[in-house]
Amino acid sequence: MLKVKKLYKQYIKKDRKGKKTIINAVDSVSFNLEENKSYSLVGESGSGKSTLARLITYIEKPTKGKIEINDEDLSKMSKKILRMKRADFQMVMQDGQSSLDPRIKIYDSIAEPLRNFKKLHKNEEKSRVEELMKKVELPLELLDRRPYELSGGQQKRVCIARAISVDPKFIVFDEAVSGLDVTVRKKVLDLLLKLRKELKSSYLFITHDIDVAMYMSNNISIMKSGRIVEEIQDVKSFNDFKHAYSKMLIKSLPPKKPCREFRRKDVNKQIL
Amino acid sequence: MLKKIYKNKQAMVGLIMIFIVLFIAVFAPIIAINDPEEINPMNKFVKTSPHYPLGADQLGRCVFSRLVYGARYSLGISIPTLFILALISISIGTISAYLGGRFDDIFSIISDIFMAFPPLIVVLSLVGALGQGIRNIVAAVVFSMWVWFAKIVRSFVLMEKNKEYIIASKIAGCSDYKIIMSHIIPNILPSLIVCFSTGIAGLMLMISGFSFLGLGIEAGAAEWGSMLSSGRAYLYSHPSLIVYPGICILFTAAGFNLFGEALRDIISPKEV
Repeated sequence: MLKVKKLYKQYIKKDRKGKKTIINAVDSVSFNLEENKSYSLVGESGSGKSTLARLITYIEKPTKGKIEINDEDLSKMSKKILRMKRADFQMVMQDGQSSLDPRIKIYDSIAEPLRNFKKLHKNEEKSRVEELMKKVELPLELLDRRPYELSGGQQKRVCIARAISVDPKFIVFDEAVSGLDVTVRKKVLDLLLKLRKELKSSYLFITHDIDVAMYMSNNISIMKSGRIVEEIQDVKSFNDFKHAYSKMLIKSLPPKKPCREFRRKDVNKQIL
Repeated sequence: MLKKIYKNKQAMVGLIMIFIVLFIAVFAPIIAINDPEEINPMNKFVKTSPHYPLGADQLGRCVFSRLVYGARYSLGISIPTLFILALISISIGTISAYLGGRFDDIFSIISDIFMAFPPLIVVLSLVGALGQGIRNIVAAVVFSMWVWFAKIVRSFVLMEKNKEYIIASKIAGCSDYKIIMSHIIPNILPSLIVCFSTGIAGLMLMISGFSFLGLGIEAGAAEWGSMLSSGRAYLYSHPSLIVYPGICILFTAAGFNLFGEALRDIISPKEV
């Protein structure tokens, strides 16, 4: 459904002497995403994940390469058609609070994509927004509030509601759960899994946590400095990763057992 | 925000001063005892009396009535000028910052050219070319000042434009026009109000200054600046002739400045 062919994004950076150097934020990336499947993209900070997300949703234009949705080239679309096409590919961004307009009530924030893509009657719109609030498990009284009055998890849910409101074929989650604490994160992830079953849309889940990526899908790509270094389908365990960089990512996961306890006892003894 | 203004002493003092001047300007015909233009050589330099509350000037005109009508001139010129300025600078500044790229470069070049000339020189040459008249002085001030405000607007829009919720609303299918009108402008409006409300005092002083120099407003008009100018000749014999209009200018300008700066403190307490 979504085909990305040899995608490049270059930034030009000037150093102190005015010398220009080209930085490849995204370097020759190709992949295909099929309908109703979920994918994960893992990479450390600065590996070009977010740039890739912006390129796919065509917020930024690629330097080279092609993005096709259902065999239609995005770069050949006029601005207006592209805007209407956006109903098919939505994105949920990293920071819940800053991706909601601070002056607008939650109701209007959720209704915004509906107003742009689907011309609904006022009553229909209201029932649709309430339905969406139920889907993302938020109480209806939040509709009259403004973004800063909500908790981080609630803001994230509002963003998710915005993205799913137009029944997109494909949603990009750009670091969608980073910045949430562990229990909230688990709940949001479970909500996303549940929603995917209902919506039958594809997910591209961009994250820096390899365990979150494993939880969300079993098609995992690993990205490093702009390139995709490993692409594995149907991952079952950490042992499936072959590339040295992926192994290093797994190694860097925080250990499950506390290892400092022994030392603290020692210190306590000394004090006593 | 209104509640905060109500609680802030500085803002209230400024607001009360502005309202006093506004009240005087609106009800000038009722408040003024005499016709401000009525020349009566018999009453030249008359001292304070019930008929002439603040005495009379060198042509026997009632100083008090002239001051009252002067409020009309000051506000009647500076407020419309400000509105025209705001309209021009908001539209040009927003468009230039939002479109970016070459359009923004061209705007920057043009604005640098305009900013290279001090407003006084521009106004002097324009009034010289267009001739006297209130309309001409307004046009000249707008022509010389719009760049300064447009640059401020531009920087506000640039700051707002790169926030995540703008990208989010683009993904939600908003057109550029809708993003500007329903997201960017409402969000920068408080800062703009502050900027323009402190600007109005400057404009008022500027216009009074020009009429002091004999530019724009015909000689002998009941305008504070030109009253100052004509009272100058009698500085030693009748200092009150220049003290009273001076106090009026000070009072009005201080009112607007107090209010504007208090507004700034209310809206952006962190930046102070």
